[in-house]
Amino acid sequence: MKTILVPVKMVLDANVRPRVRADETGVDLTGMRLSINPFCEIAVEEAVRLKEAGHAEDIVVVSIGPAKAQDTLRQALAMGADRALHIQTDDSPEPLAIAKLLRAVVEQEKPDLVILGKQAVDDDCNQTGQMLASLLDWPQATFASTVSVDGDRLRVTREIDAGLQILSLPLPAVITTDLRLNEPRHCALPNIMKARKKPLTVTSPSDYGVDTTRRLTILSVRPPAGRKAGIRVSSAAELVGDLRQAGVL
Amino acid sequence: MPSYKAPVEDMMFLLRDVFRSDAVFAEMPAQTDTDCDTIESVLEEAGRFCSEILYPLNMTGDIEGCRLENGKVITPKGFAEAYKAFSEAGWGGLSASPDYGGQGLPRTVQILVDEMLSASNLSFGLFPGLTRGACETIEAHATEDLKNLYLPKMIAGIWTGAMALTESNAGSDLGLLKTSAKPRDDGSFTVTGTKIFISSGDHDMAENVIHLVLARLPDAPAGTKGISLFLCPKFLVSEEGTPGAPNNISVGALEHKMGIHAQPTCVMNYDGCQGWLVGAPHRGLAAMFTMMNAERLFVGVQGLGVADASYQTATTYARERLQGRTPGATVTSPIIDHPDVRRMLLSMRAFTEAGRALTLFTALEMDREKFHPDPEIRRAATGLVALLTPVIKAALTDFGFEATVLGQQVLGGHGYIREWGQEQFVRDARIAMIYEGTNGIQAQDLVLRKLTLDDGQPVVRLFGLIRKTLDEAEPVPALASVRHAVQNALTHLENITKRLTSGDLSSAEERNAAAVDYLRLFALTCFGWLWLRMAHAQTEAGTSENGTQPAGKLATAQFFADRILPQTASLAAQIGAGNASVMAPDAGQF
Amino acid sequence: MTTLLLADHDQHTLSDATARALTAASATGGTVHLLVAGHNIGAVAEAAAKLSGVGTVLVADDPALAHGLAEPVAATILEHAGDYDTIVAPATATGKDVLPRIAARLDVMQISDVTRIVAPDTFERPIYAGNAVETVKTSDKIRVLTVRTSAFSPAEAGDTPAEIKTVTVPQTSWRARFEEEIVTKSDRPDLSSAKIVISGGRALGSADRFRDTLGPLAERLNAAIGASRAAVDAGYAPNDLQVGQTGKVVAPDLYIALGISGAIQHLAGMKDSKIIVAINKDEDAPIFQIADYGLVGDLFQIVPEFEKALG
Repeated sequence: MKTILVPVKMVLDANVRPRVRADETGVDLTGMRLSINPFCEIAVEEAVRLKEAGHAEDIVVVSIGPAKAQDTLRQALAMGADRALHIQTDDSPEPLAIAKLLRAVVEQEKPDLVILGKQAVDDDCNQTGQMLASLLDWPQATFASTVSVDGDRLRVTREIDAGLQILSLPLPAVITTDLRLNEPRHCALPNIMKARKKPLTVTSPSDYGVDTTRRLTILSVRPPAGRKAGIRVSSAAELVGDLRQAGVL
Repeated sequence: MPSYKAPVEDMMFLLRDVFRSDAVFAEMPAQTDTDCDTIESVLEEAGRFCSEILYPLNMTGDIEGCRLENGKVITPKGFAEAYKAFSEAGWGGLSASPDYGGQGLPRTVQILVDEMLSASNLSFGLFPGLTRGACETIEAHATEDLKNLYLPKMIAGIWTGAMALTESNAGSDLGLLKTSAKPRDDGSFTVTGTKIFISSGDHDMAENVIHLVLARLPDAPAGTKGISLFLCPKFLVSEEGTPGAPNNISVGALEHKMGIHAQPTCVMNYDGCQGWLVGAPHRGLAAMFTMMNAERLFVGVQGLGVADASYQTATTYARERLQGRTPGATVTSPIIDHPDVRRMLLSMRAFTEAGRALTLFTALEMDREKFHPDPEIRRAATGLVALLTPVIKAALTDFGFEATVLGQQVLGGHGYIREWGQEQFVRDARIAMIYEGTNGIQAQDLVLRKLTLDDGQPVVRLFGLIRKTLDEAEPVPALASVRHAVQNALTHLENITKRLTSGDLSSAEERNAAAVDYLRLFALTCFGWLWLRMAHAQTEAGTSENGTQPAGKLATAQFFADRILPQTASLAAQIGAGNASVMAPDAGQF
Repeated sequence: MTTLLLADHDQHTLSDATARALTAASATGGTVHLLVAGHNIGAVAEAAAKLSGVGTVLVADDPALAHGLAEPVAATILEHAGDYDTIVAPATATGKDVLPRIAARLDVMQISDVTRIVAPDTFERPIYAGNAVETVKTSDKIRVLTVRTSAFSPAEAGDTPAEIKTVTVPQTSWRARFEEEIVTKSDRPDLSSAKIVISGGRALGSADRFRDTLGPLAERLNAAIGASRAAVDAGYAPNDLQVGQTGKVVAPDLYIALGISGAIQHLAGMKDSKIIVAINKDEDAPIFQIADYGLVGDLFQIVPEFEKALG
């Protein structure tokens, strides 16, 4: 492989409890800590490991988001990526628009492999990687828990409902990461300082001729229904019946 | 499980919006790369390391403690691995000179990382902290040969450092020490003596320990003017830099302490070990004193760090714990709604955020002192640093300890048992009030030396800065009440200062008796000043450029102004009453 | 209006997820066609035809579809997507893997993990790991959705089986190649990720009773076993089973607390479970305050009765 492309997203930090705005327009992000999406961090780590093992030469990270997304890109550079591309927008494009932008980036950068996080922990869509693969007409392996190089193909273990599935893919391909794929490294201080000097280019969505108009209108965002008051049952049999109805048995 | 999150947003608010550090560092040729975005990346990553790797070891390390086995000190499980990860990631060399492999980042960044280390694992933080102090001393005073042989490995964390000053009869009064150093033919020395209370004196985390030992040469003058400094490695080091034969340094015993159990506090025996002179003969204390300010800042943030860690747990607990009902409540209230709990939490925060601001203000001055090209600016910075470091050391540790007690109190019974970790912060915080010069000694340094240093210029300059903040805040109606309180405090401080330096309280006895109360009065006024600055910066910034909004600076400033700053009046009255009643009873009456 | 629903199966048996997704698909309005894509799936198609609300079952049978790989399944759906205005799949691993490829090719947005159909073009779904619920309306003419099956009850059996039709599968060389599948052995699932957790408290009385009471039930339900701190401290269970603030934090679909009083430290470890069942002798035990189903009684009597009722 020559180049690996890793798209990364900046999201509300996974350790922060999201607060829903009282006017039901969304989750309040002002003043909240924002971090790299955990699955994206795993994607960067996997790309760096592939490079360290001699399977790739060049890692490009790309993020589509507001100015602050550059922090996420710098972190990826500190982890070992070589170059960063920031497509700057305050609009929060949907996965479909993101996939289209990424397709344009792929056409520019010509990577052999695109690794993405399986989903962003804010919108939980789990679509972008698959959409990109479809637009590119590339094979995909989602929810990867291991990735190994097998000659000119990749051998990927996927986490599926029944257990594990192993696929072999030719390059170029799209992989999305699952939690167990790796544990991202802590950045070393010298690498954090070096990351400042690595190339970071800023562009905007219009540079790629992609229409980012939203297809979905958010009508409301509300907190989940509180725990309803429980009921007392009088026998084990009644309990089993109720649990079956509730769909958990 | 309680957890610790490094307060990076607050740190960046201080750097970006209050102190505007980008402009400050832009004036220093060696620091033009130290912009806020870079600092933020460094702090984020350091914070992650502290939360994820060091904090989980804090309680386990406290419970397990260190032990001495066959003359070797064994640190608690996980510490050696954590230290290796810490060093390999380059954290040990953050502020060290690039000439010897360090990153050369300024004190400002180092002290923020030190706060996180102290908060997440005070015992662990002492290993790199002492190593850094030893490195700075060696870099400032040792020969090139010694520097080239020792610094690179110490900065890389392959070897650690320890400072051996105290003896059983010589603590606050180092002039009484007895360890001796006799010259050898090859220019090195034979060092013999026993030191006590040596932190990180020995351990299993690195392959060598480099001791800096205070000792007397044969022809030394008596007292503090006859003390020299010697570098004594645990294992002798070859010219290629490999540790070899043991150097007759052994651990006599490990102290059993109130806190910092994961820190091996050793009795060290130097049984005719080989040592090398660092600095000029008889100038050992002066050599150590050049590092004094950095060490005082470090100990100060130890107090600050544990207070913040305690505050974070207390707040989490108070939000979830349901007990009693506030007036008008129809269901059980979380205790954070009770005024008394609110008072305790706000008191903690009023201290930690102001303490952090005072630390950063001083650290920036230390960076000016070291890196600024203009000698006038460096001189002015030196004066302010000399003035403020005893205040930081004593006040941040005094208030820090008090804050940990409040943090424990908020948890009620759960604060007394081990599980929540609050009682450990109280035990760990206590030492910072004592070592590195007891807080009483710090207060004496402030009153007896620092107030009159440089013809009193630093004091005048500081009071001028406070007045400038007051003037700048005048047009802002929302700040009026805080401003008024700070003005009152400053008036008390100025009056007492005058009486102590040139008035009715200027005798040595009066100043001695007033010192501790004066330091507290001084610190509270500085906190008030910085609260006004922070509140002003927040009202101006609204939302700072990167979208973060530090919560409630004005509200906390108001609390500080209303409920804590009035203590300045009583402190002024205490000092103003004079020392007659302190010394009236004679020693026999106790 | 017609909706196409992708059936979920293991080549032999139709999964429960399909029946639940069918309930959702039916709520989108119009006729539902169920697509069974796989290899030698005659039995699956027949089972699908028996569900109530199915207009037609479409069978796409081909070796390339034997393992549910995304490229061939998506291509098959796209070949026949023509007239459907809604395309639905349960949010299983296959559904999540396949459906976005279709949405992208049709140039429409997908709505993932739908928990409620408000209108044919308006859906509710969880975001931020379920800490918020968003309601979205799509402007796309074709709606592509995955459905969170636990939010829908399964469709029942219908009166008359639906018609079964064979449909073509695109013939081309597919890039990704199936190598092997490793089905999870029925060892106890991992406590942190299990769908069902059964926890025991100090009332179990001894390590033997703890094991003998919880073991068979956990086996039966393929559940993980947890313990309260009191049970661990008393030596009834090893400490890696401890659920609570200083132990593991779990959020299974079903959490059954046996003889656990419900101290705040334990609750912190399981309060986000979807459904909490408490069985305790003490009717005032705090755990009943957060339990969805509470049964007061002697757990040593109740557990065998529970196992019997499971059948």
